Amino acid sequence: MNEKEKKAYLEQYKKDKEKGVPFFPDILFKDAIVSLIIFLGLIAVAYFIGAPLEERANPSDTTYTPKPEWYFLFIFQLLKYFPGELEVVAVVVIPTLAIILLFLLPFLDLSAKRHFWNRPWITVLVVSSVAGVLFLTVQSIRETPPPVEIAQGDPIATLYVENCASCHGGTINVPEGTNLHDVIAQGNHEGMPAWSADITSDDIDALAGFILSPGGNALFNELCRTCHEPSELVASDPIELKAALDEGRAYAPHAEVTIPDWNEVITPQKRTALLNFLIAPDGQRLFATNCAQCHGRSISFAGNRDELRDLISQGGLHLEMPPWRETLDNNQISTLAEYVTNPTATGNGSELFAQYCASCHGERIPTMDDYAAALEIIATGGAHQTMPVWGEVLTSEQLDALVNFTMDAARGAPLELGQGLFAENCAICHGDFGEGGPNPTRPDDVIAPISTSEYLKTRDDHTLFQIIAQGQPNFGMSPFGSAFGGPLDDDQVNTLVVFIRSWEANPPVELPPEVDARSVKLSADEVYTQLCAQCHGTDGLGLIGPSLRDPDFRAANTPQDIFETISRGHEATPMIRWGDLLGEDTIQDLTDFILGLEISDAGVQPQATPGFSSFAEDVMPIFEAKCAPCHGSMGGWDSESYEAVMTTGRNAPTVIPSDIENSILAQKITGTQTAGKIMPPGGKMTNNEIQIVLDWIVAGAPDN
Amino acid sequence: MIAKIANWFDERVGWKVIWEAIFLRKIPKVNWFYTLGSATLFTAVNQAVTGILLTIYYVPTPDHAYDSVQYITTQIPMGWLIRGLHHWGASAMVVLTVLHMLRVILLGAYKYPREVTWFTGVFLLLVVIGFGFTGYLLPWDQKAYWGSTVGTQIAGAAPVIGDWILRVMRGGPDLSAVTLARFFGVHIWVLPASLILLVAIHMYLIIKIGISAVPKKEELA
Repeated sequence: MNEKEKKAYLEQYKKDKEKGVPFFPDILFKDAIVSLIIFLGLIAVAYFIGAPLEERANPSDTTYTPKPEWYFLFIFQLLKYFPGELEVVAVVVIPTLAIILLFLLPFLDLSAKRHFWNRPWITVLVVSSVAGVLFLTVQSIRETPPPVEIAQGDPIATLYVENCASCHGGTINVPEGTNLHDVIAQGNHEGMPAWSADITSDDIDALAGFILSPGGNALFNELCRTCHEPSELVASDPIELKAALDEGRAYAPHAEVTIPDWNEVITPQKRTALLNFLIAPDGQRLFATNCAQCHGRSISFAGNRDELRDLISQGGLHLEMPPWRETLDNNQISTLAEYVTNPTATGNGSELFAQYCASCHGERIPTMDDYAAALEIIATGGAHQTMPVWGEVLTSEQLDALVNFTMDAARGAPLELGQGLFAENCAICHGDFGEGGPNPTRPDDVIAPISTSEYLKTRDDHTLFQIIAQGQPNFGMSPFGSAFGGPLDDDQVNTLVVFIRSWEANPPVELPPEVDARSVKLSADEVYTQLCAQCHGTDGLGLIGPSLRDPDFRAANTPQDIFETISRGHEATPMIRWGDLLGEDTIQDLTDFILGLEISDAGVQPQATPGFSSFAEDVMPIFEAKCAPCHGSMGGWDSESYEAVMTTGRNAPTVIPSDIENSILAQKITGTQTAGKIMPPGGKMTNNEIQIVLDWIVAGAPDN
Repeated sequence: MIAKIANWFDERVGWKVIWEAIFLRKIPKVNWFYTLGSATLFTAVNQAVTGILLTIYYVPTPDHAYDSVQYITTQIPMGWLIRGLHHWGASAMVVLTVLHMLRVILLGAYKYPREVTWFTGVFLLLVVIGFGFTGYLLPWDQKAYWGSTVGTQIAGAAPVIGDWILRVMRGGPDLSAVTLARFFGVHIWVLPASLILLVAIHMYLIIKIGISAVPKKEELA
């Protein structure tokens, strides 16, 4: 359009306008009529057809035929004509060109003519585009098959759809090393509920399998579902499952049924998928169902990941049991055999078990069906129960999960983590060991110990969690849970609960109830006997703690040092901040009492240690009963003779005479070691036994 | 009396000038096709009103979206009508927008001096398509979920930045609660704001320049 044309147009428009009508009411009236008709039409369709609503979204239902809103159908249809690499033409090129064309239209069509008859190119283009879109839309509607009915009767898929899919969509990417069973059961992250209330443990296992092995569920439905429910087989014995798949008809429980030879029917990949579905590659669960029976909860392992993987894969003879016929009489052996075949039947079987077997087997009784076999095994000992060759049984994913879990658990991360959190958040009021102390928020109030067994036995984990998360406003404790404005998230609070709970099994310090409060005034020697003597010995010659009568100790510490050590405690040792608990007067009295003790360079007097007099008579029997079953000729520390005790071990010497703090043996049996688990693995020795061994070390570990 | 009140306000507000400029302006003789624009605007108002009412009960989370839509449809008095108007109004709006555009193209109304009006119109078309696309997911039924899955997938097929577009649209690799939240946010905040702005410019230009006259078949060349 040139200037002349522009001017001509404006003039013509001015004339048209003058000949025209006012917007109100003429034009507006027409607009209103059309709008009203449209509105009535909309009400009519809303009334007679209504807004459709299909089934709730089901992300796992891949049989659903997706269809976009009808006005996008033409693009959808267009895609069908541009398969594969050409897809981009339909998706990007054509729509982009169309939009660009629309924007450029005023610049492409510059003629002064406006009527469609006078602009044939544009008119043809528009009419053909409209026709094309209409054609594609009609084609799309004609070609879309009616929606397929949702596949019914897959219980695990249904579970997934009903419970997981709405948040997680069709698939979940589970990070390696996740304990999926726990996550599902406990719902450990934001917004995810604890499903254990609604879903059985078996179904949770099946769900874990479903999530971790997507194809496995379909295989199960195809191959096993005719006879088995998922809950029957999930988390079952992998050895049985393997046998059933390997042996086909020859597998005893399958003898009566007509089944194909599985090896011919399914490929190794499918078999792996099926096994991963039935036994989810979920380390914690695998450990619980397959390893815990023999290993209990002692899952320490000092090597690296690869070594552990080899060890588990290869299985084999890694546990030697002593030949009990050399130690026990026939009567005892048969009682034990009876006990393991039928734990409820006989009387003193449990005592024998506790005495001889529990140090390795823990509390879990290795049940056997065959009395004769049990008798033979107990009598001869040896590699009576070899670890299965898991490498042949478990799939690679399952092995990885198991190795990861065991390594992580062996690191003992949760407890250490909890300890750190406790030190950061709780210790300032509750003391490093939960012993309590004066309440900083309320004068004259004393925080009672939270590490006593009385306290812990009367509060379950849930209560502890609530207390930490919500605080105890009445007692001046602020909330720690992030939901209540505190600094810790749920996981951290849980970690704290686990740490605090661990005190129930291993109380940090047993406080006599009467020294709970400062108000109780005790004489210095009473306080010493009740508190200090636990570590420094009743005579002050030292046990875990140093001798208070040692001349070097006295020389190195002024009365002020002693006073401060008592009131501030000693980091890195079990010596707590007694100043939080005892008044200054009491500590002063205590300091005087300690200074009043006679200086003695005799170190620790053997005669002052009750219960110990002879290695052969007192100490050796304990070693024989509690250590020798494992610590024999197998390598590592050997507990079978005095020489061996003093010289063997990976970190030999295991015993350093007179030095409890640095003797690995003492650390191991008291549980103060920094690496590995307390010994024996079946449970701590009795206090008396521990005392005897400690006394022996303190006495210089004599061979008498 | 009424005239007095009207004058009182006019002295202070000056509404008569606006009234004259908008409502008493002369319009060239036009035919019924020229009502398509106002009809489109009417559907937009319809969508806004019913849409605002829907947000009172609608919950944009995968847990509750479907239930809330069902609740609106079956339990709330006239809920079926509100949702029905919104659902069908959306289709009507798309149809009317396209018809309006075809009228403008075929009668050459995008030409001088109305090019800018045309540009805002093309933007408005894109906004309307955006409304349709984001609104489709909100009921969280099978059709919504799978339709949007495929829709976002199609957008993700673009070269180089396709994967990025897909992730931005879905808020992650999969269609999830995040997707629903952002579709909802775009549908009720971003797009309406754009729509209001564009409609305002569009209307201003129509009033200022005047609606195009019906061209005659015998035009001066």
